Amino acid sequence: MSNIDNSLKEIGKLNDLQQRNQWLNNIHPLVKLLLTVIYILLVVSVDKYNLGQMLVLAIYPFMVFNIGDLRLKEAIYRMRLILPLVMMVGMFNPIFDSSIEAGIISMVTLMLKGIYTVMVAYALIATTSIEAICYALRQIYIPQILVVVILLIYRYIFIMGQEADRIMTAYKLRAPAQKGINYKAWGSLIGQWLIRSMDRAESVYESMQLRGFRGEYAYASKAKIRLADILYLIIWIGVFAVLRFTDIVDVIGGLFI
Amino acid sequence: MHMADALLNPAVAGTMYVATASAAAYSIRKVKMESDPKKIPVMGVMGAFVFATQMLNFTIPGTGSSGHLCGGMMLSALLGPEAGFLTMIGVLLVQCLMFADGGLLALGANIWNMAFFGCFIGSLLIWKPIMKNGASKTKIAVATILGCVLTLQMGAFSVVLETLASGITELPFNIFVATMQPIHLAIGAVEGLITSAVLIFIYEARPEMLWGVGRNVNVSSTKMRDENSDVSSSKAAEKNGRLSFKKTLAVLAVVAAVAAGVISLYASSHPDGLEWSMEQVAGTSELEATGEAYEVADNIQSTTSILPDYAFKNSDSALGTTTSGLVGGLVVVVVCVGVSMIFKFFRNGKKEV
Amino acid sequence: MKTGIEKHLLHIENLSYEYERLELVLKNISIDVYQGETVGLIGNNGVGKSTLLKLLVGLLLDYEGTLEVVNHPMVKENVNHIREHIGYVFQDSDNQLFMTTVEEDVAFGPRNYGLSNEEVEKRVTKALELTYIEKLRDKHVYKLSGGEKKLASIATILSMEPDIILMDEPSVALDPKNRRNLINLLNDLEQTKIIASHDLDFVYDTCDRVLLLYEGEIVADGSAKDILQNKELLEDNGLELPLRFQG
Repeated sequence: MSNIDNSLKEIGKLNDLQQRNQWLNNIHPLVKLLLTVIYILLVVSVDKYNLGQMLVLAIYPFMVFNIGDLRLKEAIYRMRLILPLVMMVGMFNPIFDSSIEAGIISMVTLMLKGIYTVMVAYALIATTSIEAICYALRQIYIPQILVVVILLIYRYIFIMGQEADRIMTAYKLRAPAQKGINYKAWGSLIGQWLIRSMDRAESVYESMQLRGFRGEYAYASKAKIRLADILYLIIWIGVFAVLRFTDIVDVIGGLFI
Repeated sequence: MHMADALLNPAVAGTMYVATASAAAYSIRKVKMESDPKKIPVMGVMGAFVFATQMLNFTIPGTGSSGHLCGGMMLSALLGPEAGFLTMIGVLLVQCLMFADGGLLALGANIWNMAFFGCFIGSLLIWKPIMKNGASKTKIAVATILGCVLTLQMGAFSVVLETLASGITELPFNIFVATMQPIHLAIGAVEGLITSAVLIFIYEARPEMLWGVGRNVNVSSTKMRDENSDVSSSKAAEKNGRLSFKKTLAVLAVVAAVAAGVISLYASSHPDGLEWSMEQVAGTSELEATGEAYEVADNIQSTTSILPDYAFKNSDSALGTTTSGLVGGLVVVVVCVGVSMIFKFFRNGKKEV
Repeated sequence: MKTGIEKHLLHIENLSYEYERLELVLKNISIDVYQGETVGLIGNNGVGKSTLLKLLVGLLLDYEGTLEVVNHPMVKENVNHIREHIGYVFQDSDNQLFMTTVEEDVAFGPRNYGLSNEEVEKRVTKALELTYIEKLRDKHVYKLSGGEKKLASIATILSMEPDIILMDEPSVALDPKNRRNLINLLNDLEQTKIIASHDLDFVYDTCDRVLLLYEGEIVADGSAKDILQNKELLEDNGLELPLRFQG
């Protein structure tokens, strides 16, 4: 099924990006995570009529895409899931806002918020592996059990995805005219797969036990915070502060009017 | 139903994170208390399983469209609400990171809307009471479909509340609700049907895998792994539920249709009634204090926004004053493009060396 | 070969096991395995090979008879200690390798034994060298080929420095080249090995002693050369001669 294939390819592509030896890839995961969260907070706290500031905030995603050598096309492709709801919500602003102009401005601002947030999240995951993010989460005291479950999900999504692909292929070969899985096969097809997965989980547990696992998961993070990481963090926070708390945008604009 | 970051303001997103974190902390404590190390690999592998099932399309009979499986309801029927909830957090986080399905900031809200309702409400208030005296095909169907429909309704409703409380949209409450609820009614019913089909299969093949099922004379151990137990279990179902499987489905369909009608009617003609229900569901004192939901939402927005606004609340003046802001913004963007072109130039130069 | 002074690592006497107290899977098995031996455990699917392996690492406990591993009776209190001496390579490498990268996975066992970071590092490097996969150190497990996964699985066991290594169908799903590599690797490892397989050519290439299991009983115990060329014996017990002897 092309759908599954696409998803697996997307995961694979992200993994390839994460494995690159780029400058941004080597920045400490915690720094990237923090900056991403701070930036998203900044973006969503912009007033809905403040289009000027929204435009200026493009600096961060733009620069990060450049530093990280990322493709805008990929980020736009990733917006397909989240933008429809944003659009649905924003679409009515021109009708219901106090004036059509105000409505259009608030709609565009909302769209930009949607686009920026997806872009920076993509920039994060395209330069930082899930396990690196997990170590960052451990460093900010996210409980171990949660982090371990995330790591395990990440480890097994590819295998499960391939199983899903095989199931769909086998199904389609015997039911070529159907678009999805017929309701009569819902239970048995997925149920059997679920039982196989449970058996796999059992086996994984045995493997863990045999290697000394008693409930505590032992792993160590290798990434150390370097000077470059701290500088990178400070510079961006400085830029954010200037953009948010000064009317630098108005001043620059004034020079041109 | 994944929320986007853009639809939330920091205060609402933060509130949802706090709510989710509390539920997660409770769940972690519970799971640790069980001290069953096996739960960890099971949670991980089943999380990946749920993740993968989201890639499968299930054809809905009579329509051209397709649906998915309800992860929260299924996981908690297998692992219990706490472990199911933690697993869903993992699934949603990985989905958010890998596929941009929901944003990082909205993660708290998304976990609440999908995992909390699905796992806790669905399993503790619906699944467990129904399974108290043992399971049957009918009971599983009823519990799962009811659970999915109800928890999706709650989830959709909280999407509406969270969006409005964030002051993002001009969309009136009643229209928003009237759009969201019926759509999710249909989705809930479909997800419920798919999920119940899977759980019924599990019940027939390996009943011991289901969580929260009480002891019952009809669930005999000899039935385990017995492929030919269809007859006996449907008899058992009739004894337990006094309703056949098909009849139950029909009844549920009618109930769902009626509920849809009522909600849409309610939404279009009784906005006050909806505000009342909003208070009931949200249960926050702020909402009770005033009647106008939108105004409240706007107040929350302006009083709790973490950073002071320098733009104007009033849209007319906002238009006038942002002209210089707009121009300034464009200038910065142009400079940005220039800088990045220089950046690229240098990088390409380096590559050639 | 056996002089009697050799230390036995495994001592099994009249071992029986019932699956869920319903079905007798192993009946009165007696085996002694000595240090340095490589023993092939052969037999068809469902004759109890996997059950026997699981008993040896304490994944199944409620057996009858005597079962001693590295001179410790296999009881609940000893399980953790015994497992430090005996490693198990699963048939499905994806179940064995549950960490995201090869290095993390190979380090999992030593870290759980509370070794220092330097010691863990040392053991990981050594295990990767022994299995010739140093270059895969930072690779994601899901990106490995079947053969690489098998080698990584063995490395996760070697890093725990066991005395005995158990392997369940190691040659399944390997292409000829990887199969040959694995045979060479196993022949180089000095540990005592028990290899359960129905790939008799593989067993012939790796084992000096063979145990033939049929319906839960040991029907033959002897040198690999004798048993694997005994057409009648093999066919009576549902097996066929290794391909190389089929002419």
